[in-house]
Formats: sequence, structure tokens, C-alpha cells
Amino acid sequence: MTETADTMVEAIGVRKHFAGVEVLKGVDLAVARGEVACLIGPSGSGKSTFLRCINHLEKHDAGELLVDGQLVGYELRNGRLYERNDKQICAERARIGMVFQRFNLFQHLTVLENITIGQVRVLRVREDAARARARELLERVGLAGRDGYYPAQLSGGQQQRVAIARALAMDPKLMLFDEPTSALDPELVGEVLDVMRDLARSGMTMIVVTHEMGFAREVASTVYFLDAGIIEESGDPREVLAHPTSPRLQNFLSKVL
Amino acid sequence: MSTDGDGSIKVVPVRHVGRWIGVAAALVVVALIVHTLLSRLPTGQRACRGVGTSRVCHAITEWRFSWDIVFHYFTTSEILHGLLITLELTVIAMAVGIVLGMILAVMRLSPNRVLSGSAWTYTWFFRGTPVLVQLLVWFNISILYPRISLGIPFLHVSFLALHTSTVFTPLEAACVALGLNEGAYMSEIARAGLLSVDEGQVEAATSIGMVRRQTLRYVVMPQAMRVIIPPTGNEVISMLKTSSLASVIGVIELLGAATNIYSANYEIMPLLLTASLWYLVVTTVLSIGQFYLERYFARGALRTPPPTPLQRMRHDLAGVLSKFPNRRSVAGALER
Repeated sequence: MTETADTMVEAIGVRKHFAGVEVLKGVDLAVARGEVACLIGPSGSGKSTFLRCINHLEKHDAGELLVDGQLVGYELRNGRLYERNDKQICAERARIGMVFQRFNLFQHLTVLENITIGQVRVLRVREDAARARARELLERVGLAGRDGYYPAQLSGGQQQRVAIARALAMDPKLMLFDEPTSALDPELVGEVLDVMRDLARSGMTMIVVTHEMGFAREVASTVYFLDAGIIEESGDPREVLAHPTSPRLQNFLSKVL
Repeated sequence: MSTDGDGSIKVVPVRHVGRWIGVAAALVVVALIVHTLLSRLPTGQRACRGVGTSRVCHAITEWRFSWDIVFHYFTTSEILHGLLITLELTVIAMAVGIVLGMILAVMRLSPNRVLSGSAWTYTWFFRGTPVLVQLLVWFNISILYPRISLGIPFLHVSFLALHTSTVFTPLEAACVALGLNEGAYMSEIARAGLLSVDEGQVEAATSIGMVRRQTLRYVVMPQAMRVIIPPTGNEVISMLKTSSLASVIGVIELLGAATNIYSANYEIMPLLLTASLWYLVVTTVLSIGQFYLERYFARGALRTPPPTPLQRMRHDLAGVLSKFPNRRSVAGALER
């Protein structure tokens, strides 16, 4: 743990397998504080799995994974790795925002309640303070006045923006986006990307799994091309996306662009 | 093309011939039932009275279903007391069943084999033996365990010891038997409910830092309720009637009270009807409660909640009225 305080996420040889199939075959990456990293790659390449390892929704099998200088899911004491208990892991997770492909808004709660429940139940913020913060965030994602709506009454783009607000309400130091626009109608993609662009501009550290190459080119500080469980190529998006060196990335880009 | 006065094309609705035949048949059956319910039988006696110099006689009849006796007993204190016991049994047994069922369902879904295995075994046993047998076993439990004591298992240390028969009355035995049996059924209902909640909901809750217990309480349970409530309502209604089995072990609930009365006066049918009517009344009340409960837990699941019966009645009435052109304003007002 000699990392500088500037590194938010660091992965060293992260491996993960499901029922004998190795999905991650040693992923290395480092994301600095305030940086936006985009993970691109064909489906099944392990992008989402890697993202889920970062907030311990999946347990990685081998390698080191550090968030803000702390091992994810484990604690190093006296040369031994101690598995953290549920409560500690949840406390870590609370500070890592996650936005899902399928929004996953709490269907039985209103927009406002979706954003306050984490503050009230996990961060123990007072109800009225949580509500004020939620309204503020709704305004930020362009949904002021939708407090009382249920998720089912909103469009996909609106739901995803509420989901972003829900994650932001936890005051995250890191935001993970798992294909946030893949389940949206094409005309709704823009409004979600706009919110993410603003977020990036405000200095939030973000890791985004995406198929939106335009967004990656414009917003990402670094783009990582993941293929068959390893990072095949990475670097400045303008460079990597314009002049891919590996044949696999060339092949991938020729399909998506 | 023929057109109406205002230029629009006239629509001729499809004639549902089969439906009309069905309606006619149903009406005949309804008429038969009403007729027999209201029919009277001759008692074999005649009543005569003098009119002028002649005597006019006619046969005395009585209700086939002895409605006068049915309603006479409807509000007697024995029957009402029995009804109270029935309600008490239903509430306690269902409360035990629901709590137990939830615990068993959560256990059953636990990744730990011992927990899920014991929950499975419980359900297997209590669902696999007749509830009447279970009632009889609990009623006679003092044969197996004449004394019950509070202490540390396996160490023969006991703080408190009592005779089973003194603390375990038939009513308590019935509550335990019905409650434990219900737990097995409720666990399956609760499990279906928990499984019906999308995994993404759990992931989202986890991602904002909720621990398993919070996720269950604030995210999964409220949504599972939508699936759990309707069959649970069914179970409550079923329990209301199953509680009549407790009369077998000497609990004087609604049916027990009715049988007690008819064993003394032989008015078997009227008293069975009295009890049945009470069961129907309570069932009706429960069904209404269930409707509103379902509506409450469906919030967020549907874009527009289903109308309440009152709203639907108003809507139907508005629909009928709108068939009369000059009443359109009235229909509009009702619709609003």
C-alpha cells in the first residue's frame, strides 16, 4: 500500500471465475482521483464482472484490488488477509455509487424515497435533511418536481437519471456505471450522458462500462479495452480509438463504429 | 355505406348468441335456488277459524330452511361467544403462521444448508400430515410430556417445571396446532413472494450499502408483499373455517357452540345454517379488507391503481347514463 493518495482504484492481476470459466484473467488498471475511465469491449469480455468486483458485488478470486488505498473485502493485518464482515463491506460500498444497466430503482418507492432511503437507513441522515438533499440532486439531474412519481411512471432515461441521483445521495467518492445507456431508447441516451458529462466535469472519479464510443472519446481520461478477461489495450481515448494497435481492438471498433 | 344523421358510420356490435344462452341458464338456476330458499313446507297441522257459521281451515306451513330459528340463534350469547373464540383462534393461528412462515422462508433461501434443510424438513412434516391429526396430537401432548420445564437442554438443570395439562388448555393446543401447521403453508407463500422480487433490487440496495437485513426489510419484503398478500388472504379465510376442527378437541368455537345447541334441541339444520351465515359474514368482511390491502401494496407496480368498487360503480353508472343523450352532462359529472 505504497500507492500515492492520488490513486482511487488500483487493480493488480485481478482474477475471477464462474463455475470453471475464467472471466477475468489478471486485470491490471489504475484510476486516479478525479479521472474518468471507460471500459469498452465485446460482451462477455468481463467488463461488468470487473466493475462488480470493485464494490464487492462479486468476490474476486485472486489478485489485489484497492479502492482509496484499502483492499476491497479484505484487511491486511500481521501478514494475513482477513475477510471483512458484512457490515464493514457494506460501509465501504456505501461510498461507491453504482448505476445499473436496468436502473434497478426501488419499484415500491417514489422518486424522492428512492433517493432518501439510503441516506436515512445507511448514513443515518435525518429525514428532512435527506429530503432536501434529494430535491437538490433531482434538480441537478434535471428532474425537479418529480418527487412523488413512482419509477414505473417515468421513461427509461428519467429512471436512469433518478438512479444516478440515488447513487450521488450517498456522497460517493467513486461512481461505477454498468452500461448505463444500453437499455434506453436511442433518443433517451443523450439526457443520461449529459448528466454523466456534468458529473465528470465536477471532478467525480468514474469508471464507466459503455458502448458509447463518442462519450468515451469526449469524456474519458483513459479508455481500457477489455477482451477475453484481460486488458488488451489502454490509453488516451483519442489515441486508442483513432489508432488502435491490437488487431482485436481494430476488429471490435470496426463493428461498433 | 349507410351513415347516421351526423355523418358518422354506424357500428353494429357482434351478437353473442352463446352468451345469451348462458345467461338464460344461469338465471334459471338462480331462480331455482331463490325459490327453494324461500319455500315453505306443511307441518301436517291445520289452523281453523270460524267465519260466520262455517269454519275455514288451512294447512300450517313453515320455512323449509327454518329461517325464524336460524335468525333467532344468530345473535344468542352462545353463538356470539363461539364466534369470538373462532376469531381469536383465527387471529392467533394466522399470526403464528405468518411470523413462522416468514422466518422459514428466509431460512429456506439461506445459502447455509443446515438452515435451508431444517426449513424444508419442517414444511415437509407439517404439510405432510393432516391438520386434524396434528390437532389431536397437541391436545394429547401431555401423554408424551406430562411435565414441561424451563432449563438448560441435556444438563438436567431446570428453573421451572409445570404439569402440561394445567398450562395447556384445548384452546391453546388448537392455537399451537393450527399455527404450526399454517407456518408450513405460509413459508411456501412467503418464499414465492421473496423469489418474485427482481435480483436487481437486491443489488441496488446492496450497492447503496444496505446490509442483508435492511435489504430484506426495506426493499425485498415490501415488494414481496404484493405477491404474498392475495394467497395469504386466502389462507386467513381458509383458517377461519379450518378453526372449526378445533371443536373436535372440545374448543367451543362457532361450530362447537352450534353443535352444543342442536344436541340439546335437535334443530340441526337451522344451527348449521346459523354458523354458516356467520362464517359467510366474516369471510365477506375479510375479502373487503384484502382488496384494500392489495391495493396498498400494489403501489408503484402499476401506472394507475385499480379502481375501488365505489369508483367502479360510479364509472359503470356513468357509462349507462351516457347511453341517454340528454343525460350526458350527468354522466360527465359522475365520471369526474
